[in-house]
Amino acid sequence: MRPLGKAASDDDRPLIERVRKGDQDAVRALYERYFDRIYNYVYARLGRAEDAEDLAIDTLTRSLTRLDLFQDQGVAFSSWIYRIAHNATIDHYRRHGKVALVSLDHAPVPESADPSELAVEQLSNEELHRAIRDLTDEQQEVLILRFFQDLTSAQVAAIMGKTVGAVQALQHRALGSLERALQGRAIT
Amino acid sequence: MTPEVQRLERLAERLRAVEPYVPPPGAKIRGWNLLLAAVEQSTMARSRVHPMRRLIIGAAAAVVLLLASAGAASADSLPDSPLYPLKGVLENVRGTLTFSAADKLTYHLDLAKTRLTEAETMIARHRPDLAATSLKALDDQLQGAALLVQAERQANPAAAVRLQDRLRQAVATDDQQLANLQGQVNTSGAASAIVQARQHAADALKLAEGPAASPTSSPSPGARVSPLPSASLPLPTLSP
Repeated sequence: MRPLGKAASDDDRPLIERVRKGDQDAVRALYERYFDRIYNYVYARLGRAEDAEDLAIDTLTRSLTRLDLFQDQGVAFSSWIYRIAHNATIDHYRRHGKVALVSLDHAPVPESADPSELAVEQLSNEELHRAIRDLTDEQQEVLILRFFQDLTSAQVAAIMGKTVGAVQALQHRALGSLERALQGRAIT
Repeated sequence: MTPEVQRLERLAERLRAVEPYVPPPGAKIRGWNLLLAAVEQSTMARSRVHPMRRLIIGAAAAVVLLLASAGAASADSLPDSPLYPLKGVLENVRGTLTFSAADKLTYHLDLAKTRLTEAETMIARHRPDLAATSLKALDDQLQGAALLVQAERQANPAAAVRLQDRLRQAVATDDQQLANLQGQVNTSGAASAIVQARQHAADALKLAEGPAASPTSSPSPGARVSPLPSASLPLPTLSP
């Protein structure tokens, strides 16, 4: 189902060393490993193919031409590149504006909404994407990284600069908010 | 498992099943071409700039390190050290950076103290020739200080009194130290140099207390001071 390729891991280190020595094949290998993942991440955040393409290219170019800035000290290359993608997304929001979001943790649930009636299996992918984009920035990020990017809680924690426990709590709240958002959409 | 957790788990499973967005093939090719161009550009820029920059930075760092090391080492060097001439250069540089009369006096008195310490060490090392050179330099510094006080007396008499007091105290301390040293030497050449130094110190003090010299005669710190002819004054404690 998921053609995003091998999950990011410590295996990047030998490639990074080769890139630093000017090995173009290693650049190509890292590019192939991460382009689809970063494109998918940015697209899920922004919802526009053109912007996702530009930001994915920008992220890969920045990270692979500035490897001198990457210090391999407890932070995986994958975490670093996702941080760059995240920052590029935030910059994009700043330049082009974004609808102000409020946390749905405390959003009023419609009176007739009954979460148990939500048939999640019948929801379309696009409905899910749209509902996720209505969540807060952190909630979006945790859901996209955990479920679309298939990263572990520990990997997400490294990317977001949080503890594993905080990521798990955030994930729980994000799923609850998403459920309420979907329920709200279903009854309106 | 609570109903809520079950619902959220189902939702999570549904999210895992969402098909990912796949970039169009053209996007990947375009991105690779842009990346390749950026890599080549950065490689060219690095190869164009780095060797020369590295060479300059390396050479500059080596020179700074060498000068700093030599300067630090020469600060404590003695007349029998190969680094001693550098110490003189650094002292002259320090002299050119002093401006007020009080600072200039401090400069002269510090150097006088340094020369006296050097003379003591040279005598201990049985180098009376170098000890005599240091004592001569001590005279020069005290005479420079005396001329400074004289010049200041015309410009600012009140300040000159304070400078003169400092000089008097310094000469008294130096004389005591010279007297002690005189008692330790066993060669006539070294003893003669010490006696001469004590007399020149007294002369310098007399010069500072005497009639005003022309302001233009005030030496700048760091400049070599011509030794004055010794005044035939009776010295209080010449015998060891």
